[in-house]
Amino acid sequence: MPLTGVDVLIAEDSRMQAKILQRRLTEAGHTVRWAENGSLALAMARERRPDIIISDIEMPVATGYEFCKAVKTDATLRTVPFILLSTLSDPIDIIRGLDAGADNYVTKPYEPDYLLGRMNALLATPLVSDEDAAATLEVTLAGQKFLVKAGRQQVLNLLVSTFENAVAKNQELVVANQELSVTRDSLQRTNEELVSLNAEISRINTHMVRDLEAAAKVQRSLLPADDVALPSLDITWRYVPCQSLAGDFLNVFPLDEERVGLFVVDVSGHGVPSSLMAVTVGQFLTPKVSDSSILVRQGPDGRVVVAPPAEVATQLNRLFQADEFSGLYFTMLYGVLHLPSGRLDYASGGHPALVRVPASGGPPEFHGAEGFPIAFVPEVEYAQNSLQLQPGDRIYLYSDGVPEAMDKDQEAYGEEKMAACLEGGRTSSLEASVSDLLEAVEAWCRPKGPLDDITILGVEWRP
Amino acid sequence: MDQFRRIQTGKKGDIFMVLFKDKKILDDTSLDEIRTEMAQLLGKATGPDVLLDFSHVEFMSSAMLGLLGQLHRKVTGGNGRLKMCGIRPEIFQVFKLTNLDKLFSIHKDSPAALATFT
Repeated sequence: MPLTGVDVLIAEDSRMQAKILQRRLTEAGHTVRWAENGSLALAMARERRPDIIISDIEMPVATGYEFCKAVKTDATLRTVPFILLSTLSDPIDIIRGLDAGADNYVTKPYEPDYLLGRMNALLATPLVSDEDAAATLEVTLAGQKFLVKAGRQQVLNLLVSTFENAVAKNQELVVANQELSVTRDSLQRTNEELVSLNAEISRINTHMVRDLEAAAKVQRSLLPADDVALPSLDITWRYVPCQSLAGDFLNVFPLDEERVGLFVVDVSGHGVPSSLMAVTVGQFLTPKVSDSSILVRQGPDGRVVVAPPAEVATQLNRLFQADEFSGLYFTMLYGVLHLPSGRLDYASGGHPALVRVPASGGPPEFHGAEGFPIAFVPEVEYAQNSLQLQPGDRIYLYSDGVPEAMDKDQEAYGEEKMAACLEGGRTSSLEASVSDLLEAVEAWCRPKGPLDDITILGVEWRP
Repeated sequence: MDQFRRIQTGKKGDIFMVLFKDKKILDDTSLDEIRTEMAQLLGKATGPDVLLDFSHVEFMSSAMLGLLGQLHRKVTGGNGRLKMCGIRPEIFQVFKLTNLDKLFSIHKDSPAALATFT
């Protein structure tokens, strides 16, 4: 049966904590007075003797211990039960409480209802005014001796209260432990799910890698055959995709007994969409007379007819028009070289100009042709230019990955350096000149490496 | 009307003014976002006049040209006009290499470009 109408005195420097406690006590039907420090609280207690005192320890102007000691040495107030609110973070706190004569400890933070229960229990067993029973006890704690003057009942009450506190805290710990264990179980489950998701990702990844490898193999089939050997023509090429799939490709092949077709194609972007387009383009650029080839067809007399480069570009552009432009396009430089005469006819769909390095020793020349990238603008006609090679002349076709290669300061390698490098390579073999250019570009892009596919095709005419 | 992440937009009379905010337009994600935002901006407008300002752009991949090609078709298909300005020399090189400097209407800065819209 809870008590009501108890006269409670609170000493607490935190206004908010005092208010919370005050409201709870008032609700329980008690009379509450509040002082914000020990000194004021003592004055209030002397003014009217409370039934019980609840006091914080840390307070300005007389701490809880000082206040308690003053109460317990006051003849009128000494039997008022005194509850100390402590964090009990140090065993010394108990000695100090005992020494001050406190009857009970409640550890902070506390539930107001717990404090109320404690209060009721304390009031149920009135304190005896028994000064003689107070003996001086010697206690050793942490190697230090303390002389504590305390009565038996006080000691018992205080010890029981600390024990109760410990039990309450222990119960909290048990609950916390159970919660932890639940959390651990759910973590374990989540972990297992993660492991299985990881396995799934790895499985999908393996699939994708396999698909990409297969696609890369298809792409390599677009490149010149290993045994491409043509009379009076030296051929060297390099092809370095920046991802596993590239938008670049090139080829060189005989079209008929006298003519050789050669091209470099660069599809915009990288990765799957670009490489799919590259493969599709490649099917049209085949030297085998077939329905799909736009390079050669069978003439009425049964002989192979070679399409002029401008016609090839115009037709490709027509073939790659969709109702709605997807934004995917390609540039191409396509040439047909007549082996007996050294005449090169070529057309360009927005592709960088080819470079001729003359055998005579003059400076390298750029030869381009007007024309927009293919698939970009519907219904356009492409121009065709011709270049007369001299014996020993070299020509180089390449993708924009060469002149547009960026160094770490985002400066482009540029056409000038490229031309100078190719000119410097004239005294070495064609093979060496191409690999020197590739090395120079790769060195330029250090340390990150090229961000675009790099394609270089070098041809030397030696009739 | 500035609800976009990649483009800053405004209107001068009937002309849609678009400033690309990015310094680099290189990866597919930026391209896709620009494409989406441009589509949102132009909506169902048939043949709008559009001015694209590149003055913030320092690097641009050739895939961006494809996007410009799409815009070009959409705008000119409806008898609108697409103009570009603020293109720095490094970026202009990308247009030049592909001959597209001859397809697109390119001007020095936005006042110069606006003057040609009359």
